[in-house]
Amino acid sequence: MDARDSRIGLGELAVAEPSRLAFEGVTKRFGDVVAVDDLTLEVEPGESLVLLGPSGCGKSTALRIMAGLETPTAGVVRIGDRVVNDVDPKDRDVAMVFQSYALYPHLNVRRNIEFPLRSRHVPADERDRLVATTAQSLGLETLLDRKPAQLSGGQRQRVALARAIVRHPRAFLMDEPLSNLDARLRTEMRAELAELHLRLGVTVLYVTHDQVEAMTMGQRIAILRDGALQQVDAPRTVHDRPANAFVAGFIGSPPMNILAGRVDTTDGTAEVVVDGGSIPLGPAAAAALRQRGLPDVTVGVRPEHLRADPAGTLKVTVALAEYLGHEQHLGCRLPGGGLLTVRLPGTRSALGPGDAVTLAVEGDPHLFDPVDGNRIDV
Amino acid sequence: MSDAGLAPGAAALGEVAAGAARDAPNGRRRLGRTGREAAVGYLFVLPAMAIFAVFVFYPLLRTFWLGFFRVAPYPTIPSKFVGLSQYKSVLTSHDFWASLGRTVEFVILTVPIGILLGVGLATLADARIRGIRFFRTLYSSTVATSVAVASVIFFTLLNPTVGLFSYWLGIEGGNGILQSNTWALPAVATVTVWQNIGFTFILMSAALQAIPQDLLEAARIDGAGGRRRFWRVTLPLLSPTVFFAGVVGIIASFQAFGQIDLLTQGGPDNHTMVLIYYLYTSFQNNDFGTASVLATALFFILLAVTLVQFRFIERRVFYG
Ligand SMILES: Nc1ncnc2c1ncn2[C@@H]1O[C@H](COP(=O)(O)OP(=O)(O)OP(=O)(O)O)[C@@H](O)[C@H]1O
Ligand SMILES: [Mg+2]
Repeated sequence: MDARDSRIGLGELAVAEPSRLAFEGVTKRFGDVVAVDDLTLEVEPGESLVLLGPSGCGKSTALRIMAGLETPTAGVVRIGDRVVNDVDPKDRDVAMVFQSYALYPHLNVRRNIEFPLRSRHVPADERDRLVATTAQSLGLETLLDRKPAQLSGGQRQRVALARAIVRHPRAFLMDEPLSNLDARLRTEMRAELAELHLRLGVTVLYVTHDQVEAMTMGQRIAILRDGALQQVDAPRTVHDRPANAFVAGFIGSPPMNILAGRVDTTDGTAEVVVDGGSIPLGPAAAAALRQRGLPDVTVGVRPEHLRADPAGTLKVTVALAEYLGHEQHLGCRLPGGGLLTVRLPGTRSALGPGDAVTLAVEGDPHLFDPVDGNRIDV
Repeated sequence: MSDAGLAPGAAALGEVAAGAARDAPNGRRRLGRTGREAAVGYLFVLPAMAIFAVFVFYPLLRTFWLGFFRVAPYPTIPSKFVGLSQYKSVLTSHDFWASLGRTVEFVILTVPIGILLGVGLATLADARIRGIRFFRTLYSSTVATSVAVASVIFFTLLNPTVGLFSYWLGIEGGNGILQSNTWALPAVATVTVWQNIGFTFILMSAALQAIPQDLLEAARIDGAGGRRRFWRVTLPLLSPTVFFAGVVGIIASFQAFGQIDLLTQGGPDNHTMVLIYYLYTSFQNNDFGTASVLATALFFILLAVTLVQFRFIERRVFYG
């Protein structure tokens, strides 16, 4: 079966060959700004990989380099086995979904979806069939004659997706495609996108600054900071074993509490002395710290690993309480002024602002090198 | 655009601008406003209306009225009311139709080329390359020159004995381009295009800058080459501006006066005798009656042209 045969019918929406995407030592400078810093990253064929990081960390730039909209200052970009550094975007055969959707405002939905097919001189009957199939799979059949201005945000998003899907590209590049939608629609589209990925089995490089989106959309997550790659791993690994304090503080909602502490192993049991008390360490963690011989350490404690317990080791004062229905977040003031977030599951606790509480830490905290921030493996 | 008075076109111009910035829901809501708000609204419009009344509406009506009077060739003899007969005789005269024909020729020679050059130069100057600012400045520089300056420059360039053009064309010492029945009108049109290019360039550049960059990027990724991007994305999004430039350009060309007066005075042998210059000549000859009829005709022609443009061409224009 040749590639053309595969472009028929809903069942055959899948691409013949999803491609591998690779950055090899890619750097991009804008004047003095290093937007992407020596990035080496591979997206496996058929994989959905999310680029995650705070605003300005170079996610979009990396994506645009893959699309060919920016040329890297250094390094090699590959699509499949082909080095594409000097290949024009129109010849890279990747589709991109923009945050703004970038629908052609003067063309109706049908013409928008057709645009990439017409650019590639796909014959009219095949074009019609492809548009019909794609429109059907995204629920756009009744909107084909409308202009983008006559669509809701979610519908526009769908048209942008249809325009990307219709030509069976080697890979999809998506730059915060859901960020212009309201919270509910975003959740809905997130599920649809994930389902679409499963159905099509295509390679997806997905950019977002929303870690919930990253956790749900990505088979793997790559975290960027100031253009440099921090960690690439499955969502669970990124969450449970963050490679450094930055990743730890970025992943999780509410984010992990990061505290500076001093290692104390004087009386047999090991603990980290922090503002407001101490955090006990298990034997393995104590051994790891002893081995390194560090006097100081950065500790990370997830809000869900803190609970109010009179036998606890941290003394704090509740500063604010947020009730979310299924759980409650407490912002607790440390004696030194820092804030500690506690996540209490279930129904509303009686704790409110001004209350003094003793907190216990469940399990071992995450430990990071205070100098370079890297994880100290236990 | 040209320095010739824009008065008859001014109302039409305002209409174009309003059309471009039209906001239907707002317009509809205004109907529901209370009388007090309406009164305040009219109060704001009043100064503009007063100025229009004194400088546009009154002269317009007065001109129309003057068309009913035939003026005797000697200032001492009073003019005579002749009713519509003067309208009839002037509007059926050969001179009127010849000048109208010249005017149409002039419009055809100036407007499309002007827009084409404007869009072309703006597209070129939109390229992100080194030193492009120099060219942007250069292309827009003609807005800083007046019709008079442009005419004098070209008058020298076109001079049969010392002009560079005659030299380049190998006809120095001959009769000269401005004296040629064939080339006088194209020459005047060239001056006009040259003088207007800065304005059109700035207009088109601004419109190009307003096109969202990600649309063009999306088109690139969608497999469109440079030419397809231009025809299928850039140009449709530029169309309101092209339409605007067309309307304004036609009106300005109908009223182009300075360059004709300075370069050819309607000659040689009436070959640049466009409507407005014919009007001026009649006026000079103290034939105010004919001049008034011509002015009225010019007004209605421009009105008709503008209405036709709005009715038929505007449908093909995409407003975001
Ligand atoms: N064309 C450009 N010229 C100069 N600097 C740029 C350009 N594009 C991006 N930058 C800079 O490069 C850095 C990375 O930008 P980028 O758009 O990739 O960030 P991002 O991670 O996508 O952020 P966001 O989440 O806000 O979209 C930023 O500091 C930005 O200011
Ligand atoms: Mg971005």
